[in-house]
Amino acid sequence: MFKNEEMEINLGPQHPSTHGVLRVKLRLDGETITHCRPMIGYLHRGVEKICENQTFFQGQVWTDRMDYCSAVANNLGWAEANEKLFGITVPRRAQYIRTMLNEFNRLASHLIWLATHALDIGAMTVFLYAFREREDILDMNEAFCGSRLTTTAFRIGGLREDLPPGFEKMVKVFLAKFPSCLEEYENLLSENRIWKKRTVGVAKLSAEDAIALGVTGPVLRAAGVPYDIRKAFPYAAYAEMDFEVPTRTEADTYARYLVRMEEMRQSARIIQQCMDGMPEGPVMAKLPKILRSEVNEVYHATEAPKGELGYYLIGEKGGLNPYRFHVRAPGFINLQSLPKMAEGGLIADIVAAIGTLDIVLGEIDR
Amino acid sequence: MPTPTLTQSIVITLIQCVLVVIFVFVVVPLTVFAERKVLGYLQQRLGSTRVASGHVGITGWMNRGMWKWGRIPVLSYWRGIPGLVADVLKLILKEDVIPAKADKFVFFISPAISMVSAVVVFAAVSFVPGTFFTLPTWFPFVGGLPVSGGIADINVGLLWILGVASVGVYGIVLAGWASNSKYPLLGGLRSAAQMVSYEVPLAMSLLAPVVLTGSLNFGEMSKVMATGLPFWGLVPQILGFLIYLTCGFAETNRLPFDMPEAENELVAGFHTEYSGMKFGFFYLAEYINMTVVSALAAGFFLGGPWLLPFGLQGLLNPYLPSFLTWFGQPHAIFFVVKIIFLLFTYIWVRGTIPRYRYDQVMSVAWKYLIPMALFNLLLAAVVRCFAV
Amino acid sequence: MNKILRTLIPFDIAKGLSITGKHFAKVFFTANRRTVRYHITSEYPEVVAKVQPRFRGRLTLLKDEQGEIKCVCCLACEKICPTQVITIEKGKKEGRKMPFPVRYDFEMERCIFCEFCVESCGFDSIILNHQFELAAYNREDFSLGMEGLGQNMYEPSPVGKFSVADD
Repeated sequence: MFKNEEMEINLGPQHPSTHGVLRVKLRLDGETITHCRPMIGYLHRGVEKICENQTFFQGQVWTDRMDYCSAVANNLGWAEANEKLFGITVPRRAQYIRTMLNEFNRLASHLIWLATHALDIGAMTVFLYAFREREDILDMNEAFCGSRLTTTAFRIGGLREDLPPGFEKMVKVFLAKFPSCLEEYENLLSENRIWKKRTVGVAKLSAEDAIALGVTGPVLRAAGVPYDIRKAFPYAAYAEMDFEVPTRTEADTYARYLVRMEEMRQSARIIQQCMDGMPEGPVMAKLPKILRSEVNEVYHATEAPKGELGYYLIGEKGGLNPYRFHVRAPGFINLQSLPKMAEGGLIADIVAAIGTLDIVLGEIDR
Repeated sequence: MPTPTLTQSIVITLIQCVLVVIFVFVVVPLTVFAERKVLGYLQQRLGSTRVASGHVGITGWMNRGMWKWGRIPVLSYWRGIPGLVADVLKLILKEDVIPAKADKFVFFISPAISMVSAVVVFAAVSFVPGTFFTLPTWFPFVGGLPVSGGIADINVGLLWILGVASVGVYGIVLAGWASNSKYPLLGGLRSAAQMVSYEVPLAMSLLAPVVLTGSLNFGEMSKVMATGLPFWGLVPQILGFLIYLTCGFAETNRLPFDMPEAENELVAGFHTEYSGMKFGFFYLAEYINMTVVSALAAGFFLGGPWLLPFGLQGLLNPYLPSFLTWFGQPHAIFFVVKIIFLLFTYIWVRGTIPRYRYDQVMSVAWKYLIPMALFNLLLAAVVRCFAV
Repeated sequence: MNKILRTLIPFDIAKGLSITGKHFAKVFFTANRRTVRYHITSEYPEVVAKVQPRFRGRLTLLKDEQGEIKCVCCLACEKICPTQVITIEKGKKEGRKMPFPVRYDFEMERCIFCEFCVESCGFDSIILNHQFELAAYNREDFSLGMEGLGQNMYEPSPVGKFSVADD
């Protein structure tokens, strides 16, 4: 008697909660999602190809602009991949400073995730509170390297400059107030009945599915897999740091929220250790004037705030620029799991799912 | 006191209408402004403080002026008022886009339905029982006649309020349907289900004051609740008050129940395709609805125009400043203050808590609010048997 | 029983309301203060944004004590620039041993402010200044050079285009 018809609807590319220019093609049965396909490519700039046409030194500025919420982590991956390619050993002080800035960057990225995720679910005040702390971190970025967002923080072989005077004080002030700020967010969200209703059991992704889809980062750890590259394949100064890898087993949006909140605590711990055990010495290794690669091939993975960020470089004999450059962007791989998470849920759940994946389109489309 | 003729009473009613419309169109823009400021203060920012960017031209001159006011303690809160004026001007002057495939007539009429149903509710709201003030004798045609505290002192005022308020949903549903677009359609569908669901507990929570007072007249109910029960009736009716407030949030489409216009899911919900003053009507209707719901809550649960319950007002009156006792004992000022407090609560809640999901909104209404409202009704009946 | 109580009485929501209410009260009572204040935003055009000493702003050519341009046209900055925004034309000037830049063009619209040029310069003849208000209405305003066009590269861009700080 009645005709059953599904409605096709485009979530994006202009939509308040797709975090950029993501377009998700949805088929709806009432409000239930029966089919969901993310469409990407609206922000494609060809970063990999551009980097192949630029020298190793210049390539770093393009990594800033991939995941612009965590530029320092991208810089670190690029610098370390190149150091692996050329066989450079970085001074210990530089390693410590890199580790510290990387953890600050993780805080900034997780704070922006918390802000936008809470805003997507409707808690608009957390947005401004999280940005309040992120602002301090950006100020520290600015003090260290002169730029707030697109940092270009490191150089192949170390750092351009040592920490600026007064940096220790900024860190100390930040670390003193940060735990109470975290508590404030948690008081607003963790126990809130509406927050729990919107996140508990929503957008589940089991450990098997996550591993099969190649998902990494907090999304994987919230499924109970304690895979963190900082622990599994330590880089920078992470081998000397004492920290825990928080995991949960529920594999839902709430578990991911808890994992990220705990990660922020651990990051603050790592920063404290870096400050306490900061060695003296130079911050730049001795380098040849012009970097020329040998025939070589490296893959270097780092734990970016969003997951495993891998840089794959091939060098040719006497090459000034990489013969081939490829990025394994965590957001790109994590986004694959969106249909798995969202299909069968309601239209409000896909907003939570996109938020919990913590995607940045600059990195996905590159 | 002379008895007014029919024409005279019509004129007096018109005067009352003008007064109420002035009240509505003073309170509503101030609520819009307060929403910006209060949300800002909640989030540790200043809210709106300027007209437009830049420092050139007339807006720049105003911005500089407002920056200078910023140091003066009381004036500093009112910076940004010119921005409100600019917003209204912009809404009026903006091009009114109607989508090509929209149902033009329905598209045109639905903002009007929303607006009218929101304003008309005020007919039955009584701000002060009895006479509000007596017109001066020099007043042409109706001089020396009393103006009462509400437009229509009808004995089934509550029925009028509930009936007219529920027409407002047609505005939203029709807007969603007439836009011929997918997100507005989803918003309209959501709103239809949500409004129908929440009408039930809303009406039930208002039944409890009816049971307690034995009347459907707004003024009568508010008087009995305020003077006959401990603490304006808030003590026996605290549950009813909370249920009413929750349903009020849902009926006015405010967070955490703003399903029809859930910004992060449906872009702008039912008014996605609206622009210019048609959008402005929806916007105003939302705030008028908020004022109505607050007025009912203040009247039934917070003692209406009475400052203190149990005739304690009479004891306090000698100590009140004279302008507060100017019009007699229960005063419209107290009513307005209570309305403003409730409006603040609306904004406060919006700034604090997240949004429910659509199915959860339904389950809250049917699984929790309706049983609780029934229990509250029983409680009211028990109180009525033994106490009043 | 405890669970039912917690469902019925919204303690969690009250907790959230108390946090936001606390912030509201603090900002409300300090909103008019400019020095000791509780709100975290600053009113930008009136309150000038402070930048850190290492801030990377607009590229500026430096002159030495005699008023001579320090640049000696080694073209290091031109080569290292990732977006190729610098164009230098080598030339000679009377009474100067080192080469002299006849033209030093800087296309600011493409500049990404990475400071590689300053890093590569062996003669300390360029810096990135602390300017960040670089917006302009015309495309030509982004073409900076030694002379001729709208802006030259020795001085900062006209300040006060957006800042109106008067106290």
